[in-house]
Amino acid sequence: MTAIAATPPAIQPIRPRPLRFGRDTALLTWRSLRAIPRVPERLLDVTIQPIVFILLFLYVFGSAIHVHGISYKDYMFPGIIGQSLAFGIIGAGVATSNDMTEGVIDRFRSMPISRLSIISAQVTGQFCEQVLGMVIVVGLGLALGWNPDLTPAHGVELAGLMILAMFAFTWCGVLLGMLVRSPDAMQGVGFIVIFPLAFLAGTFVPIAGMDAVPRAIAQWDPISALVASVRYLTEGVNAGGSWPLAHPEIAMALWSLLLLAICVPLALRRFNRTLAA
Amino acid sequence: MSSRTTAIQTQGLTKRFGDFVAVDNLDLEVEVGTVVSLLGPNGAGKTTSVRMLATLLRPDGGRATVAGHDVVSEAARVRELISLTGQFAALDKHLTARENLVLMARLRGRGHRDARKIADELTERFDIEAFKDRLVKQLSGGEKRRVDLAAGLIDRPHVLVLDEPTTGLDPRSRQVVWSTIRELVLDGVTLLLTTQYLEEADALSDRVVLIDHGREVAAGTPAQLKAQVGQQRVDVIAADGAAFEQLLSLLDGRFDASPLPEQRTISVAAPGETADLARVAEAVEASGISVDEIALRRPTLDDAFLALTGHPAESAEEDEREREEVAA
Repeated sequence: MTAIAATPPAIQPIRPRPLRFGRDTALLTWRSLRAIPRVPERLLDVTIQPIVFILLFLYVFGSAIHVHGISYKDYMFPGIIGQSLAFGIIGAGVATSNDMTEGVIDRFRSMPISRLSIISAQVTGQFCEQVLGMVIVVGLGLALGWNPDLTPAHGVELAGLMILAMFAFTWCGVLLGMLVRSPDAMQGVGFIVIFPLAFLAGTFVPIAGMDAVPRAIAQWDPISALVASVRYLTEGVNAGGSWPLAHPEIAMALWSLLLLAICVPLALRRFNRTLAA
Repeated sequence: MSSRTTAIQTQGLTKRFGDFVAVDNLDLEVEVGTVVSLLGPNGAGKTTSVRMLATLLRPDGGRATVAGHDVVSEAARVRELISLTGQFAALDKHLTARENLVLMARLRGRGHRDARKIADELTERFDIEAFKDRLVKQLSGGEKRRVDLAAGLIDRPHVLVLDEPTTGLDPRSRQVVWSTIRELVLDGVTLLLTTQYLEEADALSDRVVLIDHGREVAAGTPAQLKAQVGQQRVDVIAADGAAFEQLLSLLDGRFDASPLPEQRTISVAAPGETADLARVAEAVEASGISVDEIALRRPTLDDAFLALTGHPAESAEEDEREREEVAA
């Protein structure tokens, strides 16, 4: 059916745009970030939630939890960081689910822009929100007396790992956000899947003391590797118990790369299918 | 037809969502510089058709071209030529009206300064000045529609497609949108318009294509269609049953009157429109029969469907967009 398409003289030349993808992504990312000061509640799940958990565990439950060889404050903050990163998946998913049903996405899709930029801007915007949330959580931790013992080399390693993990979790959230039918469904997925994984991950209590079944899950939970690597790099504590927990930084890097290898192609495929419907 | 004068052409265009055929073998042609209306009830396939033209949906059969460019194989080219303004405001609700216009202009390749200049021109032209710095989510339906229209006109598209531009608007906002569209038409914009309102198709377009269940049921100039649909009528509603009988005997001989007893209404053909309204009203007034209402009635989409398809217009049970989402 395309064979009979006669090509008439061009009406206007297609603008040469070698950097179109980057430019469109930047413009669309600006669009997402512009919404933050106007809809501050979007940042709630990366700010208020960690704050609630910090206060709850530091001043309410913490007195009943004793971890050998480390103050509970220093034990808990790496857990809070891992949990916040994991909850970022929910935040990115809810935002994507909200955004993709907006009429404006149709306008972008019918415009002469790089279509890939729509999804890359979604990821970049969400990533920036995660970073902002993390800065707030770490800042709050330091203000409340968390005292990480960080060498410059470990600092660089930690920043690199966290950025990689945030990037992977953001893609995962964007994929989930495109798969679910509504933002509420995304909240449901978060509550059923991500919430338990984030609590099992040696976040607030040591994995070694758990019952056999949760312990087995926790030992292979990606969020455990994340929490363990933050704890190792900031406090020099290494729990062990399974290969990922004995080598948390390598495990975390591998988990992130695996998540990216799965989520990026699926997200792109899902996005293209929505386009071609 | 040479592609120089044909802005939009479809041949056998078809789209299915599961078992449901949303657009069924549609042949459509819009010449450069003309306004064509796709007229039909909810679920007739109007939105699906224009979404295929705007490269948002892939046709299942047939082909469609915009200025000679295939919407599937040359989608990127088509996106440079066509601008779709949908039923639902295609704006970012967290940006202001002006920020939306600047963003759209920049996405169309304009530099920062250039984009601002375009946004300022458009806010002036579309009378957006008063609310240009308010967030889109705080604007009324009519205000949003104006910003939406303005956004669709950045870079003067080869073909402008407006999907139900006045659905859901109050009568005053509808008038504003109509006058905006009229100005665009005077400017020589090529326009494909979808609407559920016969009045709107009549007021704005050169040619009307009536569609039902995804198929064309009639096409022609508004005048030709109206001639097929029938003229305006004067409806006289009697105050009670006795008055209805008196009215019937009064009007039956003097006018081309049809009784509608269930509604206590006598419907009188009014080829002379307001002149006939005056004559009927005088006769009723002189007779002293008590009536509730005398009104000149324009033929509606329902009348058009009844006249052209033999059945009244039925809205499809589901909205097209919902079907589409379910299918995707």
